[in-house]
Amino acid sequence: MTDQETLQELMDKADVRQYDCYQCGKCSGGCPMADAMDLKPRGVMRCAQVGSLNRILNSNTIWLCTGCYACVDRCPHDVNVPALIEEARYEAARRGIWRRDSEVLNKVFVANLKMFGRNHEMVLAGLYNVLALKPAQDAQSVPHMMSKKLIGIRPHSIKENGELAKLIERAESWDKLASAPQEVKK
Amino acid sequence: MIRYAYFPGCASESTALSTTLANNFVFGRIGIDLVEIKDWNCCGATSAHTLSEPLGLALPARSLAWAEKNLPELDVVTGCASCYARLKLTNYRVRQDESARYMVEKIIEAPYEAKREVYNFLDILSPADVRGRIEEQIVRRFKNLKAACYYGCLNIRPAEVTGAKDRENPQAMDELARLTGAEPVDWGFKTECCGAAHQNDAAFETRPLARRILENARACGADVILTACPMCQLNLEMRQAEYARKRKDEKRGKASFPLLDVVLPPPEKETIPVLSITELLALSMGAGSGRLRLDVHHVPVSGVLSKGFRDENESEVMI
Repeated sequence: MTDQETLQELMDKADVRQYDCYQCGKCSGGCPMADAMDLKPRGVMRCAQVGSLNRILNSNTIWLCTGCYACVDRCPHDVNVPALIEEARYEAARRGIWRRDSEVLNKVFVANLKMFGRNHEMVLAGLYNVLALKPAQDAQSVPHMMSKKLIGIRPHSIKENGELAKLIERAESWDKLASAPQEVKK
Repeated sequence: MIRYAYFPGCASESTALSTTLANNFVFGRIGIDLVEIKDWNCCGATSAHTLSEPLGLALPARSLAWAEKNLPELDVVTGCASCYARLKLTNYRVRQDESARYMVEKIIEAPYEAKREVYNFLDILSPADVRGRIEEQIVRRFKNLKAACYYGCLNIRPAEVTGAKDRENPQAMDELARLTGAEPVDWGFKTECCGAAHQNDAAFETRPLARRILENARACGADVILTACPMCQLNLEMRQAEYARKRKDEKRGKASFPLLDVVLPPPEKETIPVLSITELLALSMGAGSGRLRLDVHHVPVSGVLSKGFRDENESEVMI
């Protein structure tokens, strides 16, 4: 599949059409993360219009978008930029293009859920800080939160966490499962 | 008795201790029964749908499907904007899209039809009869307390999913705050994103988001920021010492040692307390600060309490 076709497929999934955007820039103007993005939301739409998929996949935008939907809300044509960004992020992940810190956090988060079924703050923040090589991030809040017992090392797991881990595995391999529907039915 | 199936969310068990106590107090007083979804699991927050769409929909669907099966007559409510967004979106997608429903049911291995609604606390506290019950329970009202009501992005948007009418200047929380005697201020960041979604993996990039919200609230004369989400609350509150130090560093033109924040908390005029709307209601309904464990807040809330209260006869009451 060419990049052009892939881009069209992502746009179709996101229900975004190139010709809906006339580059007014309200999305970028209202985007809280625009300062930090190397390709602002309007730029994402521009790249979609000119077929520059690689520029989108290699931007930090797809990892920094917080999904606050301010852009869609203010867009005069209701162009769903975050949906396109999300599809682009999945495509980037499929091609192995990651922003390192995002990859670490999100994978640690899901591993955390597989273990406990709920988010265990100490495990999440601790593992992230170690693996992302940021040992001191937010460390100044730890003494307060530990002394007030807001966070602790005590594990709090749900009862069916084994079932949940299997659920997560099914969800992660859904693309494979879906392409073999007869297997799913068993 | 109004009843809801309740999805507490992970923060309710840890960082949002005081908010959880306040929720229990308020809902107990006004006669809303929250039936906890048994063995609920994390909604997946930002990470699950960042990695894969099936995972982002399946995690909330597991808890929702349990509620649909075991509490079929109840709508679902959650106190966290992030959980709300994920649960509501799952509901919406399953209703809209037959293939999404097929996928979700296969993954969770249970039927799920999204028959019931998903609400947040602002939704269930706003109807006229509930407001009436709140008003009946209020025993003391704040005096000269200016509050900036912060709704957060995900309680309001995306509008096609949440059905919110006013996305730039919502009023539900302002009206609840008025019941307690607080005066809501007009300010610009009611529904701006605070960046909580990326507070770990893009810490440097998201800090300005929270800082802008805090600074705008202070500039508009607010004594306190009110939230309807434990993630917003933590994100706005936790790093105020860091922001105060950065402001100082920017003025001086050189950096100081970060961990100084632990031993040298910033002066009170440099910070702004952050309370959840239910904490404010609980205080007004007579709960004491000890009972609500207001000491767990990162920013001391003494500034709010020292404003004092007045009873029906406008005379001052102590707490």
